[in-house]
Amino acid sequence: MAELKHPLAGLKVVELAHDIAGEFEGRLLAQMGAEVIKLEPPEGSPTRRVGPFAKGREDPDSSLNFWFYNSNKKSVTADLAKPEGMAALRGLLADADVFICTLQPRALKAAGLDLAALAKAHPRLIVLSVTPFGLTGPWADYKSSDLVALAAGGPLNSCGYDDHSIPPIRPGGNQGYHTASSFAHIGVMLALLERQKTGHGQLLDVSMHEACAVNVELANPYWFYPKVHVHRQTCRHAQPSPTQSALFRCADDRYVYFTLILSEAKAWNSLVAWMDSRGMAAQLTEPEFSDVAHRQARFYEVQELVECFFLVQDSHDAYRDGQAAGLPIGVLNAPEDLFDDEHLKARHFFVEVEHEGIGKVPYPGPIYRFSSFGEVERTAAPRLGAHTAEVLAGVGARTLQEADE
Amino acid sequence: MQTVAASPARHALSSADRTPRRREGPLAGVRVADFCWMGVGACATRLLADFGAEVIRIEDRNRLDMPRRLPIYKGEARTYGEEDANPDPNKGGLFNNYNRNKLGVTINMRHAKGRALADRLIAASSVVTENFAPGVMERWGLTYERLRELSPAVIYARMSGFGHTGPHAEYKSYGPVVQAVSGLSYISGLPGEEPSGWGLSYMDNEAAFFNASALLIAIFHRNLTGEGAEIDVSAVEAGINLLGPVLLEVAANGRSTRDGHFPTGNRLEHPNAAPHGVYPCAGEDRWIAIAVFDDAEWRGLLSVMGNPAWASEVRFATQAARFANQNALDPLVGAWTKDKDRYALMHALQAAGVAAGAVQTAEDTNDHDPQIASRGLFFDLDHPVIGEARFEGTPIHFTRTVQENWRSAPLLGEDNAHVFKSILGVSDAEYEELASEGAI
Repeated sequence: MAELKHPLAGLKVVELAHDIAGEFEGRLLAQMGAEVIKLEPPEGSPTRRVGPFAKGREDPDSSLNFWFYNSNKKSVTADLAKPEGMAALRGLLADADVFICTLQPRALKAAGLDLAALAKAHPRLIVLSVTPFGLTGPWADYKSSDLVALAAGGPLNSCGYDDHSIPPIRPGGNQGYHTASSFAHIGVMLALLERQKTGHGQLLDVSMHEACAVNVELANPYWFYPKVHVHRQTCRHAQPSPTQSALFRCADDRYVYFTLILSEAKAWNSLVAWMDSRGMAAQLTEPEFSDVAHRQARFYEVQELVECFFLVQDSHDAYRDGQAAGLPIGVLNAPEDLFDDEHLKARHFFVEVEHEGIGKVPYPGPIYRFSSFGEVERTAAPRLGAHTAEVLAGVGARTLQEADE
Repeated sequence: MQTVAASPARHALSSADRTPRRREGPLAGVRVADFCWMGVGACATRLLADFGAEVIRIEDRNRLDMPRRLPIYKGEARTYGEEDANPDPNKGGLFNNYNRNKLGVTINMRHAKGRALADRLIAASSVVTENFAPGVMERWGLTYERLRELSPAVIYARMSGFGHTGPHAEYKSYGPVVQAVSGLSYISGLPGEEPSGWGLSYMDNEAAFFNASALLIAIFHRNLTGEGAEIDVSAVEAGINLLGPVLLEVAANGRSTRDGHFPTGNRLEHPNAAPHGVYPCAGEDRWIAIAVFDDAEWRGLLSVMGNPAWASEVRFATQAARFANQNALDPLVGAWTKDKDRYALMHALQAAGVAAGAVQTAEDTNDHDPQIASRGLFFDLDHPVIGEARFEGTPIHFTRTVQENWRSAPLLGEDNAHVFKSILGVSDAEYEELASEGAI
């Protein structure tokens, strides 16, 4: 039995992905040990042309967008518009375990690819299609983007500001694509388990639109049951009716998230004790405030005192001391703050990846940790075509060998 | 035309038969002692239950799961805070939503006999899941070492906000706190304004999806090697993985995101899409998202707009120029969209090759979206107390793997007799004793 320190070691994945949804899933499989061969057109995947770029170098090997989603992969260039390109793809698929494809139906047809036929021709192959709207249905060829996916799928309707003259605001970081990848990943793992059991591969059709439509949290059950709509609010849950602000500005002009819950005695007492320890509890220590009804009646007074309390302390102090008081409070970290976080440091979360000419760059570490196995060592996203000769030579040799037999 | 066979999901149409059965699917034969509660854990183990695992939810009658208590009731519009003092635990819609296809038992873990029963259930299971605050399972003696004594190749999935090691392991968290600490809230909003962050617990769902993936990876590994595992997932760490390329920009280029120009609302920094935003439509709080990435799409947009004169101005002549002049461009686009029907506009723009989508509500995606309807994403199941209810399907259409939707969520303790007697071999007399002593 092969070395199994990485659960997906020995699996071969061919990735024909022109967007983040497919690329992120390829990366997730690579991190668990699969050999992921990214097939790119001769000019490179379109994702290589999306910035930001490392040190401002606008070339296909310096896109940080590409780096983020393509670590630990091999890059092979092939022109699928030419017979030899298509032959390379078919050669790679001959012994592949997973084929990731982001082409929508019209593009598949134009490329001469039929995913159902591929799945049929390769009975053990898992064909993962991950597309904006899925392979079927009236919108199957509609164009999308992260913003459009979050809008049509529903998450965007819950995000934005209290002021509804401002449109809903897209949460940052490509979350529409990430949502699609999350389900693509679950789908591939389920299909691998199915294959362990039955020996059969299959075709998986993942729609980013549908993935977003089930990633709206309470908006769905509020519609399923009481049939009410939720309305967006600044940096807190969209709700059927308005709730109080949960974002508090601190002395360092940064924010903490904290939901003031008046109905729970324990949380209330912790908050008042914490405020009192800084001499800022004011009238909240008075006995009548131990009565929930009184607190609720004087709610705006309480909220104002809490606002003042946070305004005089730095956000990280409020985070640490509030958590020490047992309150669920979170500091709004900016990305650059994370590298100094003592907790993440203690867990050795960030992993360093060597980049030629740049040096070591910290990348986010494992999403999940296992006691008996783990991820492969993280390596940089491949330069365009870095593995073309190596990988296609193998395919050519095998094709010749098969011809001999 | 690419065709894919209809997803072979199977739905229980009749409420009559709620009897536990042999399950189908890739996880058939995997029994899960499921200590999860709230959103993250229940949403993660729902994926296991959907695909054949025998997931046994272990609940405490004296400490009802929050989704059983929240007043999300059919036919009754209430807000979050308007909770009943003594809610009917079987009426909660959120619990039904998260716990379909699972079995449900009650065990009192503060009772010695309850804990002994839990040990027996673990011994009969090959997966144990939990998302309590760190320390709770330890208080019951349920460490990974102990679980391995009970079930040698056990997979022990531990889902928490901060992970089980490190100085903040015991920090309290729920979705919005995870989103704040991981950076996801900060990177969302208009420049120079307070962050708009998230209007949902996105990270409850995403942490659940990654916890489900981790469990599937561990089961795959065990099938190959016979080896179990303890899994530690920190929702904050999962969240940082979802920050996207800006994290590398900070790491590799030393960019500061606190310069007052970040984040950029609905505009992108990369690539130079313009117009790229959410524009008003006819009706109250109706909007459309439009994303134009190149000249061809710009020409498509203009054709739908009827080629207005302003569009030929030099400041809009190239993609780069449009990107640089979004402050001028966006109000012009918005003035054009504002009296149009969001769907008519979406379809017209898509027909012209422009990425556009109406901002849809849950009502829209459930009841008025022909794309979702044609693929059968949502489905209905009956429930003895709630009645017929709608469920979120799995947005993965398989040609072979079956999602067997055999039952809505368990009533509180619904499967006590089946699980304790038929699976664990508890005698009738012992069962009565456990019940009368308050151990179950």
